Amino acid sequence: MSFFEGGLFWFTEGVLACLAIIALRTWTQDKGIRMPFWKWPVVCTWVLFLGVSIAYVGTSLGEGERHAAFLGAVCAAVIASVSGVVVWRLLRL
Amino acid sequence: MPERQLRVNRRTLIKAAGATSAVLGLSGLGLSGYRAGKAPDSYTGCEGSQGAAQDFDRKRFAVDTPPYEKVGPTSRADGRTEVIFSRVGVARSAAEKGAKIEDLDEPFKSYYAQHPEDFEFDKQNRELRRKVREDSEENRNRYILAEAWAGAMGAVSPRSIGNDPPEVSDFPRQGSREPFKMKSPAATAKLIKKVSYEFGTVLVGITKLNPDWVYQYPSSRRGFATDEPIEVPKHWKYAIVVGTPMSWDPMYANPTYGTSNDAYSKSRIVAFRLASFIKRLGYAARPHTPGNSYDLMVPPIMVDAGLGEQGRHSVVITPELGCNFRPAVVTTNLPMATDKPIAFGVQEFCKTCKICAEQCPSGAICKGDKEVVRGYRRYRLHSSKCFNFWNSTHGSMGCRVCIAVCPYTRKSNWVHKTALQVTANDPTGLSHKMLTGMQKRFYPGPEPSDYYAATLGGKNASYREPPWWLKTEDFIAL
Repeated sequence: MSFFEGGLFWFTEGVLACLAIIALRTWTQDKGIRMPFWKWPVVCTWVLFLGVSIAYVGTSLGEGERHAAFLGAVCAAVIASVSGVVVWRLLRL
Repeated sequence: MPERQLRVNRRTLIKAAGATSAVLGLSGLGLSGYRAGKAPDSYTGCEGSQGAAQDFDRKRFAVDTPPYEKVGPTSRADGRTEVIFSRVGVARSAAEKGAKIEDLDEPFKSYYAQHPEDFEFDKQNRELRRKVREDSEENRNRYILAEAWAGAMGAVSPRSIGNDPPEVSDFPRQGSREPFKMKSPAATAKLIKKVSYEFGTVLVGITKLNPDWVYQYPSSRRGFATDEPIEVPKHWKYAIVVGTPMSWDPMYANPTYGTSNDAYSKSRIVAFRLASFIKRLGYAARPHTPGNSYDLMVPPIMVDAGLGEQGRHSVVITPELGCNFRPAVVTTNLPMATDKPIAFGVQEFCKTCKICAEQCPSGAICKGDKEVVRGYRRYRLHSSKCFNFWNSTHGSMGCRVCIAVCPYTRKSNWVHKTALQVTANDPTGLSHKMLTGMQKRFYPGPEPSDYYAATLGGKNASYREPPWWLKTEDFIAL
């Protein structure tokens, strides 16, 4: 079993996610952005979409489906960019 | 005093959090260790024998009646004429002698009189094979490794069951053993499934045998007279269906690089082992195996046994392997608990998908609605057109493009498992259209005509590139 299939991988992912959340919190405090509870699910959903998109591209490449990986990357980039602008505006509220 | 209280509270909080973390962490280690010890993928090198791949939750999709429609009086298939391999030799001989349909013997005369189009197709395949061989040496040599691999996969096979009638060949040798009394049908079914996995199957299901699926006349002798109807033996009460996958990478490189021989061979071995196991318990058992050693039609038996649903291309679609498998059946009188059929959305999906019909180079798969065939509503497959394409391409013989392009035929990873769960649980059918659209755009195939050999107007195309180990040009100095 490779590292990426094992529990240690997901443990590491969890540690990294915690660090990212702490960093996000610090960053928003420095920027003077208020973070009420409803903003956290919005940001998490956007990050989750990004993560799933990147995983899809990786999986498609692993399967040898380069065309699917390319189209997936393009679609994800467009959706992530548009939704990213929306999320940013929501954060600034 | 207030300062001291705050310090104590913080310390208490930290201690409680530490203790909780320790308990959770140790519990997590314990659970993780338990999973590592129990997980099927810990059986290094023997993962397949643990049944781990048959992991779809069938109980949620179990139905009381199989997902096919009986619409009128039924009849059984004539194995002599409705099985392409049984009739094609007659048409070839007729082509060589210049004979017409009226010159043929029965039952072929009647069959071809009713299906004159089939006669024209069936006469062509030897000529098509000759034209393929006229292709350039460079094109022919490209498939040396694929043909060697297919041949090697077919090199090991159990011996045939002989030509004794089922009343003799299916039973343990006379006086060798009385049937052991089994404790319960449920326990027997569990045992049979477990040993089937140990024998090498990936999928297994059990059903009572519906006599409609037994050929009316045999497609090969196997103890039956070819000119007498098969009277379904009384001891064919149950059918155990097993299935093993074809190697995934060559399968995606069909029609030229793939082979059915690997799964044929594995399923044959499983079925013969299973029949031997059952006979040693004193019960009757007969294996029905590829290629063409059957006395019955396998796909509807697979449906009855809850392994999947029959798709537009006539191949059964299973949740785990899609249609990338080759099945075998063992008929027996060993009493067992049976499985229920499942309906996980395939009938609805196939209505709109049609990718197999669009990609089929021979046009054998219908793009229209279901028709009534022998009293059951199903998609009709034009086997003569299909078999002619087998003879129109390089490689190990056969096609399997419909299997490779089917959206259900995907490897086991989170992307395809998620798509499967979405389609299976969507009662609206909206996801079917969306995912079919994605499949067509994200995973396109060549033009259907490109699958033909160059000498027949094609480009020797395959659905996907061959795996590195089947690229002849990288290993053999030509």
